[in-house]
Amino acid sequence: MLLDFDRLGPWKWVLITITTLVCLFLMLPIVFIAALSFGSSQWLIFPPPAWTTRWYGELFADPRWLQSAFTSLKIAAIVTVLSVGIGFLAALALNRGTFAGREVLRALFLTPMILPVVVLAVALYAFFLKIGLNGTMLGFIIAHLLIALPFSIISIGSALDGFDKSIEDAAILCGASPWEARMRVTVPAISHGLFGAAVFSFLASWDEVVLAIFMASPTLQTLPVKIWATLRQDLTPVIAAASTLLILFTMLLMIIAALVRRGSKQGTKP
Amino acid sequence: MAMTATAAPGERVARRRNAAFAWTLPALVLILLFFVTPVLGLMLRSVTEPTLGLQNYAELIGTGTYARIFANTFLVAGVVTALSVVIGYPVAWALAVLPRPWGQLVFAIIILSMWTNLLARTYAWMVLLQRTGVINKTLIGLGVIDKPLALVNNLVGVTIGMTYIMLPFVILPLVGVIRAIDPAILRAGALCGANSWQCFTRILLPLSLPGVAAGALMVFVMALGYYVTPALLGGTANMMLAEMVAQFVQSLVNWGMGGAAAFVLLVVTLALYAAQLRFFGTRRIG
Repeated sequence: MLLDFDRLGPWKWVLITITTLVCLFLMLPIVFIAALSFGSSQWLIFPPPAWTTRWYGELFADPRWLQSAFTSLKIAAIVTVLSVGIGFLAALALNRGTFAGREVLRALFLTPMILPVVVLAVALYAFFLKIGLNGTMLGFIIAHLLIALPFSIISIGSALDGFDKSIEDAAILCGASPWEARMRVTVPAISHGLFGAAVFSFLASWDEVVLAIFMASPTLQTLPVKIWATLRQDLTPVIAAASTLLILFTMLLMIIAALVRRGSKQGTKP
Repeated sequence: MAMTATAAPGERVARRRNAAFAWTLPALVLILLFFVTPVLGLMLRSVTEPTLGLQNYAELIGTGTYARIFANTFLVAGVVTALSVVIGYPVAWALAVLPRPWGQLVFAIIILSMWTNLLARTYAWMVLLQRTGVINKTLIGLGVIDKPLALVNNLVGVTIGMTYIMLPFVILPLVGVIRAIDPAILRAGALCGANSWQCFTRILLPLSLPGVAAGALMVFVMALGYYVTPALLGGTANMMLAEMVAQFVQSLVNWGMGGAAAFVLLVVTLALYAAQLRFFGTRRIG
């Protein structure tokens, strides 16, 4: 039968072949970049004539790369904290509240995620030019918070959907104040949702290019803006080195996320 | 305090629930001030600059250069969507039935490629596809072609790069849809004498079609508004809509035209999402 792997018949090999090819296609740029970053050819000849760590040396020798990475990190960290905090409150209200217009509010909160980023970028750029936030840290944080918040609301919202509110009520009956019950009963119970919100918010800001291109100034730029500006000039292997480090960073985040998910699953099982 | 104490319990709960509205205020203020206001402001500029009226929209529709950009955008988005669905469907199907360790490996590869920095992926394609790049060299080495193909700085490059980015967005939701299909229906089909091809075209494909349509629409909308990949892989001669918006504002400082182009993009996007909500009844976006 078509949904039983051992009884797929002729489909089995078709599916296996296509899936293998797609996996190779998906891995190709990632593996290629990593190999290229150690290649000695300035002109990105592949396979490289010799191997070197020269591009990593150049990357770390240029203070602008480190500075932009530090700026990215700082913005992403602040955005993560704000996004999880504001997102938690909003998700709680949308989940528990009975006020009219909740669905409209939910749609409004999620719109920045579905809208083409370039529209938001241009609109914010015009607005920030008027109120003087362009090229400032605050401008970056606001812009990235707008696109990170929907991820928080979705992630925390679905965790709240799966949480039995009567446990919180029980805590209140036992004498806890509503906020005490929320912080000490609900928050630990939905910690996987909060963690997911944090990871997605961090990545939404850390990897964001389009808003950042418009918000950046010559003195304040994030890592993606630095890569973008360098890419537009030439395809130097230094970008391969920077990209490889970014890929390693992503893998690290994935592993941590997987471990936390496994941990929280074991924690909730009796 | 005294009032709360004397209020009936039901009333008290109702009041507390409505107080929940206050918790949305930080998010609401943020969105209204830094999302709704700027977007409305930009729309306003599209009909007031340089003078009041719809002349920006008239110019956008009436000029051949812009018409070609619109055509390019819809063409690329359409081709990318079609390719993603045709390539993504078998992978989603395989993921729904593969034994655990293999399934997890494929999942990990998809997630890794999806989470890898967009610029890193696009840069890789710029290098891979260039005239002296690995793809051209391999094809020449295999004797498939004798002159290098132009794979970058044109719409072919954009299509390859975008399909790479969009594939996971088709595959991942589709896995859930295929898994949710009851295998008993397929067994019943086979018992009634359907061969394996008929089982696919008459049962599996129709039952998974809502998932295909939803994924395709999402990819199409995302592709319409994409900026980074077309800008880097397409070159200046093959602009797409999002680049046009950015160009108007950054290089030409023409806020009227930029606002008009942005508004067109916004309306098309929201209309397509509204259509999706209406036809597929997806309650939540994302």
